[in-house]
Amino acid sequence: MTFLVPALLFALPLAALPVVIHLIHLYRRRQVKWAAMMFLRMAQRMNKGLSRLRQILILTCRVLTVAAILFVITRPMAGGLLGLTGGVPDTVIILLDRSASMEQQNLATATSKRAAGIAKLSQALRDTVGTRSKLVLIENARLQPQLLDKPESLIDLPLTGPTDTAADVPALLQGALDYITTNQTGRTDVWVLSDLRQSDWDSASGRWPALRSAFASLKGLRFHLLTYAQPAAGNLSVSVQRIVRNETADKAELLLDLRVTRSSTSHEPLELPLRFVVNNVSTTVKMEMKDSQLVLQGHAIPIDKTTKRGSGRVELPADASPSDNVYHFVFDEPAVLQSVIISDDESEARPLQAALEAAADPTRKYTSTLLPPSRAAEIPWDDTALIIWHAPLPKADDLISRQLMNHLTAGRTILFLPVESASAEAFGGLHWGSWTTGSKPATLEWWRNDAGLLANTRNGTALPVGELEVTRRCDILGEGTPLARLTGSLPLLMRADIPGDGNAWFLGTLPGSGSSSLARDGVVMFAMLHRALNEGARSLGKAQQREASATALGTGDLTLWKRQGPAILSTEQPLRAGILENADKLVALNRPLREDSPETLGPAAIAELFAGLDHHIIEDQVENETSLASEIWRTFIFIMALSLLIEALLCMPARRDPQLSPSR
Amino acid sequence: MEANMPESSRTFLDPTVLSRLMALPLNARHAMLGSVSGRHRSPVRGSSLEFAQYRKYVPGDDTRRLDWRTWGRSDRFYIKEFEADTNLRLCLLIDTSGSMNYGPAGATRFEYARKLAGTLGYVAAQQGDAVGLWSLAEKPVEIPAKRGASHLGLVLDQMASLQPVGDTTLLTALHDAAEKIRQRALVIIFSDLFVPPAELKSAIQHLRFRKHDIAVFHLLDQQELDFDFDRPARFIDLEGGEAVLADPSLIARNYREAVRQYMHEIDDLVRTTGMDYHRVKLHEKYDDVLARFLLARLEKKGKSS
Repeated sequence: MTFLVPALLFALPLAALPVVIHLIHLYRRRQVKWAAMMFLRMAQRMNKGLSRLRQILILTCRVLTVAAILFVITRPMAGGLLGLTGGVPDTVIILLDRSASMEQQNLATATSKRAAGIAKLSQALRDTVGTRSKLVLIENARLQPQLLDKPESLIDLPLTGPTDTAADVPALLQGALDYITTNQTGRTDVWVLSDLRQSDWDSASGRWPALRSAFASLKGLRFHLLTYAQPAAGNLSVSVQRIVRNETADKAELLLDLRVTRSSTSHEPLELPLRFVVNNVSTTVKMEMKDSQLVLQGHAIPIDKTTKRGSGRVELPADASPSDNVYHFVFDEPAVLQSVIISDDESEARPLQAALEAAADPTRKYTSTLLPPSRAAEIPWDDTALIIWHAPLPKADDLISRQLMNHLTAGRTILFLPVESASAEAFGGLHWGSWTTGSKPATLEWWRNDAGLLANTRNGTALPVGELEVTRRCDILGEGTPLARLTGSLPLLMRADIPGDGNAWFLGTLPGSGSSSLARDGVVMFAMLHRALNEGARSLGKAQQREASATALGTGDLTLWKRQGPAILSTEQPLRAGILENADKLVALNRPLREDSPETLGPAAIAELFAGLDHHIIEDQVENETSLASEIWRTFIFIMALSLLIEALLCMPARRDPQLSPSR
Repeated sequence: MEANMPESSRTFLDPTVLSRLMALPLNARHAMLGSVSGRHRSPVRGSSLEFAQYRKYVPGDDTRRLDWRTWGRSDRFYIKEFEADTNLRLCLLIDTSGSMNYGPAGATRFEYARKLAGTLGYVAAQQGDAVGLWSLAEKPVEIPAKRGASHLGLVLDQMASLQPVGDTTLLTALHDAAEKIRQRALVIIFSDLFVPPAELKSAIQHLRFRKHDIAVFHLLDQQELDFDFDRPARFIDLEGGEAVLADPSLIARNYREAVRQYMHEIDDLVRTTGMDYHRVKLHEKYDDVLARFLLARLEKKGKSS
């Protein structure tokens, strides 16, 4: 509880006034000469406990009344469940999750969770700390601390506007931690405004224990979590997995793989009008949705044969969560799926090259180049989707190492294969160990089949990964994400934890017959290589699908990008879904699909994440219009009235007994 | 007799009231053992005109009392006995504890008691009875009952000089009086009886054991019964005890309950001891109270006790 006029709290000792007056009266009472003391003492003995209690209650009521009056004039403020605890901190850091899921709306008022939370937080901060504390905003898109001059700025700033990005809450907290430790913020309140989406909070992340221990070492730090975990009832979301322009002799069409998901588990058939807009021409198709998902494979939209390039979107009818009702896409003549194999060992490289050149998609062109490590500099960096690096790992400060890292940052992929000569060099936190040759072929005991290179096919069929035989394997050392393990929990395939869109994998064996059955059986290797190639090819070409994020449009001049539709601030361009053009590049920005996942963290999970930290959760709802902090003088007026009433009842003289008539 | 009274010190005697009450005799309810003849019954047979009984002659009896007519009819000797009339001893026991000083100046409980006692003493003396005075307080006054105008003067003077002070010694004084008053007497107690009824009972029974006729004037003020105060006050004990701070609104109910209980016990006491009990409220006119007292003692026609 805080007070708008805290100076008046110094008058609080006045609450003892009734006690003082009582004591004065006690010693200034009129005196009565009395003979029948026998009865008086007897009455007092009979009445002792009750009389004392009554007197204490009366005095308590009077003290409460005066205290309530004093509290009323100090204008007390309280938050939800009296959440705003006393004292004005030196610094208030606001961690704002303005991810796509925060745009879930109250359909009656069209107020989003983000807008409602910001409005309440702004009002609460204005009423409680005003400009007495330093206000710092860190939002999820850029993670840059921004100083605010007053709490009201929260509502107006573009930095608090809607985005179609994903949030990384541990990164937000890390940003707060960095700010606190760098600026020595003194007593600090950290407000986290979020919808507690599991995908944003990443509660399984290894960053949490480190954050917890770092925050626990700081003094005077309090966390206030303003949460909007309320799910959107019956929400539908749409996403496009694949967009291909198909041209035959007599017609051209766009083939779309798209998925509509509904959040409720209802199986009632739902007639769904899907609106497709391609180059500003819209068509509406009614679909029937029977399950929780509607998957359309190769849905054809006829286009003009001369239209080689363009953009469009798929739209769902409006619902509580508007950000997932639209999915933008662009199309162009597909880029060549080019891969480069860096290897000295042709016997190992040839099967790989053959697999990479085999057309998995007959509408596209596939090329693969084999280069020895000495000619690695000749890699066509701009056009290569996948690099297979079967050579010693480059030194960290080598030019080639930096080029490989840039290749990954641009969203491309690398598959590292082990070489015979061991070296201590690492890439992305992983490096090769020693070779082991087993007496009999080893098989895989576990692999990740929901995502990644070894995932099941689209129709759910598993790849024959279990049939793989590995006779020689090389240890993969360092910290990474395992995707497949051999018997004995030995990692066979690992993904390096590298920031950015690109992926680097380490495969602990070779495809040749001397090491494994990868080349011989072919299926797993083919799927694995083409998935890696497709992953890397996403960022190839002039028309690209990207996830909205601060780096979605690269690091160049953002003003060069023109948005189709209403213009917005250039700094917000990469954060909002839509179609953007820059010269000959065409980019469709969409929300990251993990934002569609409705799972949220429960109170127990939050308590676990903030274990040992001074934290306070305010669970709010977007429909709730009561302010976060409000003046609670009414409560004290009520207390005062109640105290007066009780006091009056206690002071009420007892009913007169019938007069004694003892005359005889 | 009246000429001997110093007017200034005997303000508790009102001639009008005295003249009005002179018409009413003060009777004892039990037989008295007086020293001279009077108007009260005696336990011994005497020579009054009122026949008592016949009894057989035994040698030594005065032959003058033989009923010759009975001898003539039955040839047996009978002595004819008559009631004896004697005077009574009136012992006035006045409580002079501090609590008797309750009430407005000049109209205190003690003043009221003095008026009652003085008037009764005067009435008794007028009908030839002996009057004595005992004060029931720290400073004892013990004047044995005697006849005569000069003795009455002494009693009234002593009564005029009494002052109600100090703690109550009512119970001790009653026991003391029971021991010291040797012959049957009419003992009249003027007190507020602010003592535990159980202890008072034993003192009264002690007096009854000595065959005294006991009358009690229980003097109470209406305020003491009602406890009708509106504001908290500090109650000063008139007998010098510790003062009590009390809020009447909190304890009035219990006070009244205590009074009711006390009265109930006093009523029990009256029933068991057979004393002549008169509860008097100080706003009542004392001559009415006395008239009621004397009238109640008049022998009822046809009553033979």
